Amino acid sequence: MTETSLTRTQVNKLGDRLRKGEVSKSDLRLLEDYRRSFTEAYDHVVEKIRNELGLAPTGRRAKSTKSIIDKLRREGTRLSTMQDVAGCRIVVSDMLGQDKAVRRLEELFPNSNLKDRRKMPSHGYRAVHVIVPHSNKLVEIQIRTSLQQSWAELSEKVSDVVDPLIKYGAGDEEARFVLNSLSRVIEKYETSELRLALDELKDSKPEGAISDAIKNAQAAKKQAIIDSLGEASEVLLSAERTKNDFSN
Amino acid sequence: MIFLIEYDRPKGCLVQMKSFADRDKDVAQTERLNLELENHSRGIDREIVILDAASKTAVRRTHRRYFEDLAELLRFAN
Repeated sequence: MTETSLTRTQVNKLGDRLRKGEVSKSDLRLLEDYRRSFTEAYDHVVEKIRNELGLAPTGRRAKSTKSIIDKLRREGTRLSTMQDVAGCRIVVSDMLGQDKAVRRLEELFPNSNLKDRRKMPSHGYRAVHVIVPHSNKLVEIQIRTSLQQSWAELSEKVSDVVDPLIKYGAGDEEARFVLNSLSRVIEKYETSELRLALDELKDSKPEGAISDAIKNAQAAKKQAIIDSLGEASEVLLSAERTKNDFSN
Repeated sequence: MIFLIEYDRPKGCLVQMKSFADRDKDVAQTERLNLELENHSRGIDREIVILDAASKTAVRRTHRRYFEDLAELLRFAN
């Protein structure tokens, strides 16, 4: 395919047609051209992260058509201003590692914008997003702890197999309740673990050395999450069964 | 490596995954579009995405939802 250069107006008109559900083959091709116009920016950002920070992100060269259309309908945004057409994801072990990765990314991309969704979770979703502008395009870097990542994957899956609205704070109430509760449990224990780790760093304990206090906090965190997951499992698997029964 | 993933959201299952060498990103992107056009002709609505990662293991770690069912994803603390 030959990459063409779409004007902002053409991109937004394309977005309007997609939003209305008028998805033609020629528009799918145009959208592919638009995706490919992010290649240089995407390669620049991901290569810098790999080469200069030694991190190993999983990159998503292009958001799926389904996700783009869903977002256009849900948020009423213009296609030309969508910030996550191309992006990548970095998963780190805990919030200390997350803060460190974010600092290094901000140093690497000084003109980036930060969205800290740990401070303002979006329907339970917690992560840090760094948005990097390059060559008039935006590339989104998601930095998640492994627990934030597990929660996000779970929430996405529930949206897939139970109700697509759940991810956006609507739909099945019970499912939303258990997902939000689980997110708060993770937040509580991640935050206290971070506080302990920072205190120990202040006391000049070497980074990486795990004290008994941190080990105990980690054990408490694991137990609290297992308990919360027990409750969530019952509700979510039952919601999935109900949806499957209804579909069959 | 580059991975082309076709995923059925309502069923929550992976339909197919193909891998490509990094140098073949254009081939992967063209294949993604062709698959999308074919599904469009047949009235099939699927998520089709291209991911870059060091290995299949890395993709399975950062995008578990494509590979695991709900019951498996609920066991993340174990």
